[in-house]
Amino acid sequence: MRTPLAVTWSVWRALFLREGTARTSGDRFAWFWMLAEPLAFVIVMVAVREMLGRVRLIVGAEWIPWLIVGLTAFFLFREGVLRSMGAIEANRALFAYRQVAPVDPVLVRNVVEGILKTLVLVILIFGASLLGHDILPSNPLGALNAWLAMWLLGMGAGLVVSVAASLVQEIGMVVRMAMLPLLILSGVIIPLQTFPHHIQQYLLYNPLVHGLETLRLAFFHNYKSLSGVDFGYLWYWIIGSIALGLILHLRFAHRLKAQ
Amino acid sequence: MIDIRHVYKRYHNHHGSNWVLEDIDLQIPKGVSVGLLGRNGAGKSTLLRLIAGMDYADKGEIIRDCQVSWPIGLRGGFQGSMTGRQNVKFIARIHGSEHSVQKIIAFVEDFAEIGKAFDEPVKTYSSGMRSRLGFGLSLAFNFDVYLSDEATAVGDKAFKEKAKKAFKDKVGQASLIIVSHGEDILRDLCQAGIWLERGRAHWFDRIDDAIAAYHQSLERKQA
Repeated sequence: MRTPLAVTWSVWRALFLREGTARTSGDRFAWFWMLAEPLAFVIVMVAVREMLGRVRLIVGAEWIPWLIVGLTAFFLFREGVLRSMGAIEANRALFAYRQVAPVDPVLVRNVVEGILKTLVLVILIFGASLLGHDILPSNPLGALNAWLAMWLLGMGAGLVVSVAASLVQEIGMVVRMAMLPLLILSGVIIPLQTFPHHIQQYLLYNPLVHGLETLRLAFFHNYKSLSGVDFGYLWYWIIGSIALGLILHLRFAHRLKAQ
Repeated sequence: MIDIRHVYKRYHNHHGSNWVLEDIDLQIPKGVSVGLLGRNGAGKSTLLRLIAGMDYADKGEIIRDCQVSWPIGLRGGFQGSMTGRQNVKFIARIHGSEHSVQKIIAFVEDFAEIGKAFDEPVKTYSSGMRSRLGFGLSLAFNFDVYLSDEATAVGDKAFKEKAKKAFKDKVGQASLIIVSHGEDILRDLCQAGIWLERGRAHWFDRIDDAIAAYHQSLERKQA
């Protein structure tokens, strides 16, 4: 008889190899899109700004690097949530084996996604700095920390949403729809510094703002962020959402498996 | 030994929730192969899933102090988009047989006899091919108890013979719990029987008695 820890480890290992293969070999377009999506966003946003002729500068950071850092970090969070949501449904056949719990594919997908998105970030940084943009992080350790926090926040939200969306299908649709407004409200493509102060106060309830701005502060030495950005506030959300997600998975494990 | 203690199970749905299994209290001794009998919807597959640990009882508990397989059968167990080989690899890994993955693959490939289809996605398989793969896979592990949910029902004659022989070879090392409507298979492979009726289970030490009781209940129904 193996210990529970040994069983869990072998399940994670097997799932990791499976997800990794499926994600990188199965869908060639997915590979392409991982790089193309942030690039397309950058190109469209730059074009929009050029055409509108409203070149409002971001204080202390170059426009394109600022955009790349924000977009990739937001996508890291978004994929964590959306991939988690599909994880239980996609691996339903594997619940025939009592060793596999519904939480396993969710956690493993987040790890796979985190690795892939980190690769994407590195490639984009490399590309942009070859093109002469100032994008190398001025505080690499701080950037790593903020990047990790964004990943964990995506995982926490993913844990919660994966249970909620499996039990109530409509929640999944709402979450999908919420991603675009969230992209804008988190200051990924429009700098929140340009908003009036009394609106900023409300925007600061969104933990993503704190993560993204902390990441940008670590990347760009002279960057002037919003006042009130608090990395600690983000960690409350991370710990809270991961704890809630794991509790939900424990509470509903039987029902998720049996469906 | 598998100890089923006062197990209740129901599924919640929109039109009430009657007990599928009601107060099942049985001990299946070590080394005894058991056939599960009952009409469609009597709860045979549900009981098998509970024994496998795939699903959970609402009340009561099931204690397994031996290695129990997953329910070998038609539904589930394979990821459709993965090839047969990838599925086998995955399942070998979650069972902690990392070092013998290659051996298990070779065994399954040889047993299933599905040729090149082994490297095609499982969703392209016919039900017979799936059953061959699932069956071969379960035999690659040394379980103490094999659970079969009509595993051989869709196989052709040659495969049925092969499956029967494989199980007979395991006698002494392993036992079986089979759900089947093929009474010859039950007589061939099982010693004891469980007859399920309206959520209740009746244990028979001899499979022939269980089959007889099942037949009587069907006749009473018709009369």
